[in-house]
Amino acid sequence: MTDDHFRVTREGPIVAEGRREPLLLPRGLRRVPRGIDELATEHLIVNMGPQHPSTHGVLHILLELDGEVVMAAEASLGYLHRGIEKLAESRRHHQVATLLDRADYVSGIHTELAYAMAVEQLMEIEVPEKAHWLRTLMGEINRIASHVLFVGTFGMDTGSMPTFLYTMREREALVDILEEVTGSRMMFNYVRPGGVTGDLPAGITGKLETFLSTVDTYLDEYDVLLRDNEIFGPRTKGVGVIDRATAIAFGMTGAPLRATGVAWDIRRARPYASYAQLDFDVPLASRGDSFDRYVIKCAEIHESLKMIRQLIDGVPEGEHMAKVPKVLRPPAGEVYAAVESPRGELGIHLVSDGTDKPYRMRLRSPAYFNLAVIDEALAGGLIADAVVTLGSLDIILGEIDR
Amino acid sequence: MLPAPSDVTRWLAAAGVTPAEVTTTSLGVMARIEAARAADVLSALRDGDGAFDMLVDLFAIDTGVGIDLRYHLRALERNEDLYLAAYVEYDGEAPSSWRCYPAVLFAEREAAEMFGMTFVGHPNPKRLLTTDEVTEPLLRKSTLIRTWEETRRD
Repeated sequence: MTDDHFRVTREGPIVAEGRREPLLLPRGLRRVPRGIDELATEHLIVNMGPQHPSTHGVLHILLELDGEVVMAAEASLGYLHRGIEKLAESRRHHQVATLLDRADYVSGIHTELAYAMAVEQLMEIEVPEKAHWLRTLMGEINRIASHVLFVGTFGMDTGSMPTFLYTMREREALVDILEEVTGSRMMFNYVRPGGVTGDLPAGITGKLETFLSTVDTYLDEYDVLLRDNEIFGPRTKGVGVIDRATAIAFGMTGAPLRATGVAWDIRRARPYASYAQLDFDVPLASRGDSFDRYVIKCAEIHESLKMIRQLIDGVPEGEHMAKVPKVLRPPAGEVYAAVESPRGELGIHLVSDGTDKPYRMRLRSPAYFNLAVIDEALAGGLIADAVVTLGSLDIILGEIDR
Repeated sequence: MLPAPSDVTRWLAAAGVTPAEVTTTSLGVMARIEAARAADVLSALRDGDGAFDMLVDLFAIDTGVGIDLRYHLRALERNEDLYLAAYVEYDGEAPSSWRCYPAVLFAEREAAEMFGMTFVGHPNPKRLLTTDEVTEPLLRKSTLIRTWEETRRD
């Protein structure tokens, strides 16, 4: 018997003693010698990505296949690693937001906000009510822009090209609004320690109201295209199931966690900005499959719209920026500030040594922890479902690789 | 959102651990423990009365004389966070906590490659974000940021 004669089981210790190390080392997987009466099949290692249309960026996954069945999966990261945490240590606090916009480039407002909150906590800066209001409004607009992108790309992952075209229509309208307010379509650099860079420009409320008056019809179209589609259901229901215990053990947050029935949303559990004054629900599901994760994201779009309607009904007066020094020198100390980004809990752990630059800045990326479960989620499923499961996790490689 | 320091001391005592100190700082409640016992302590905090069911994050800080690990734990039901600090010497080691909290599978690999240390017992102790050609622990303060021209290979 040669070392190549193995089969893979999911019981027992990881590596049988004296045997060759498996190419992949997922949890609970081992290779054992085949019996002579067993049909010999060869396991195939397939590289999915980094150049692959359905890996949502530059993700590389090694898949170990037994025929059509995925036996193990391992994510290979770093293709987009730019050393943001290291670079932040050489930037002044005002300059770090430009780096963080390039972490989660689909929802930069949230990353900027988490960093600004961390600096404000350290310096005990009182943020004006108007700035809280603007941060919440822009955050929710950015959340919808991110969620509709997810709906579109997830539609493509499941074989529906038209959905992507429809969702781009809504995303375009939202990105136009974000551009008019912040000056940029993706790399906003809008939220600063102490407030935001500018108030709403004249006429933007009208554009927002026009969007709000039409968006409900558009969202109904998504349901027709995907949720009620007779192919979409079987392609996503029961696919990529992640149970509640696994989700918690892997530190998952956001829609993947709420799809298992855990009502954890930072906006509700630890309200920041203006969320304490808003009336909204935290959508939950119970099966933890790809369909539930999709349904939750769609429900969250409706909740965000509900919040935006409440926000534009009550515009506070006042300044959009507190009086802060031009050079920020937070006192020495450590803080953690977290926001609910479209992908889950996005936290900034900031360590200051009293100078004008962060001593250490750790970005707690939600997608990083949501992706770590990939072996658990894919193993045992079909290779054709791998793209669906991966798409439903809604990862952004910019914030995973940092 | 903050557990009482006396409760933290009690939870750790149940695991046979006497923390060096339990302090309340701008970060929250933080207990300093021995790095060699980190896996045992985490197991006790998850399974004991503390019921810290989620590990939110694990990362490291270069203090200039060594590596300071931070374990960020959360009890979801009580909405409480607890931080554990553990000191590791440069190129030193700490036990892997992946059996208790698989959330550390990526984070330990990252901390190990970026700060130059080892998590003993990690099932897949490869580099996470950089290639094998990168030999320096990039997030140590002694590693300087270099330009593309300085690092290019002809």
